[in-house]
Amino acid sequence: MATNPMHQFNVYRIGPEIKLGEIDISFTNASLFMVISSITILLIFNLGSKKNSLIPNKMQLLAELSYTFISKMISDTAGSKAKPYFSFIFSIFMFVLFCNMFGMIPYSFTVTSHIIVTFVLASFIFMGVTIIGFIKHGLGYLKLFVPSGVPLVLMPLIVVIEIISYLSRPISLSVRLFANMMAGHTMMKVFGGFVISLGIVGGWLPLSFSVALTGLEILVAFLQAYVFAILTCIYLNDALNLHH
Amino acid sequence: MPKNSFKTRLKIAKNKLSRKNLYKNKQSPSSIGTAFKMSTELVSAVVVGTIIGFILDKTFGTKPWLILIFFFVGVVAGILNVFKSAKKMQR
Repeated sequence: MATNPMHQFNVYRIGPEIKLGEIDISFTNASLFMVISSITILLIFNLGSKKNSLIPNKMQLLAELSYTFISKMISDTAGSKAKPYFSFIFSIFMFVLFCNMFGMIPYSFTVTSHIIVTFVLASFIFMGVTIIGFIKHGLGYLKLFVPSGVPLVLMPLIVVIEIISYLSRPISLSVRLFANMMAGHTMMKVFGGFVISLGIVGGWLPLSFSVALTGLEILVAFLQAYVFAILTCIYLNDALNLHH
Repeated sequence: MPKNSFKTRLKIAKNKLSRKNLYKNKQSPSSIGTAFKMSTELVSAVVVGTIIGFILDKTFGTKPWLILIFFFVGVVAGILNVFKSAKKMQR
């Protein structure tokens, strides 16, 4: 194994090279893990919703628990108006969660540790929320940038600040997930490397650190998926219930 | 046996669950999530402000000035972001 802690983030091609014009669309290890997590989600929810018994089996329990978890989160943060967007937020949460969790398996690849993946997810959310806001409120959605009770002299400055604050949403959403996943996995690899280099005499301390970090990373993997979903809800709430 | 019947057991379980939920709702369950949220909020606005300043500088040819101005506007926007989410947490 390579001792370079960043080696785990390498994207390499699996199978033949496929080109669409200038763009390389070959199947990579990143795409493989995205496919794996999507298929796992589909399997769990298909098996879980197959037969609806009053006393659920494990699969059904898993599916129902995650359903109530997300639906409660949506109604808490965005209200009843956001119910139609349940499936979108649910799939976002499940995808991020499973990508994070599959990254915790040794020798696997963490899809969400690449900023392009998280940025695409975040910009889809951002564009979707902006479009929903304009559909629901028309040009009145622009009132989001004009807070009430501001003196007219300060208005141009405030509007610019509000626009920057609005545009920073996808950046903060994507950077948070990416940075947490990458930092955690790098740290685990570094401590793993310490265990090897210090040998049987001094290797126990970094080993115990590694064990503790694994637990922390599983917590972070869940928490980041949760934060990603709850921020989607908050942005959706801003778009649906316009009040400043 | 009425005690062993499924309905009574279900009722007991439901009672337990609702009591647990009542206890849980007193403290915010997502406090760690919001703590994580704040960290990047400040930085991202600075980044966006700087990028906007850089692009405007390139198009207007006013090399160092707009990037400087927009950097500070970005800082202000970042502080505003943190302030807003702190306000949201209090509710």
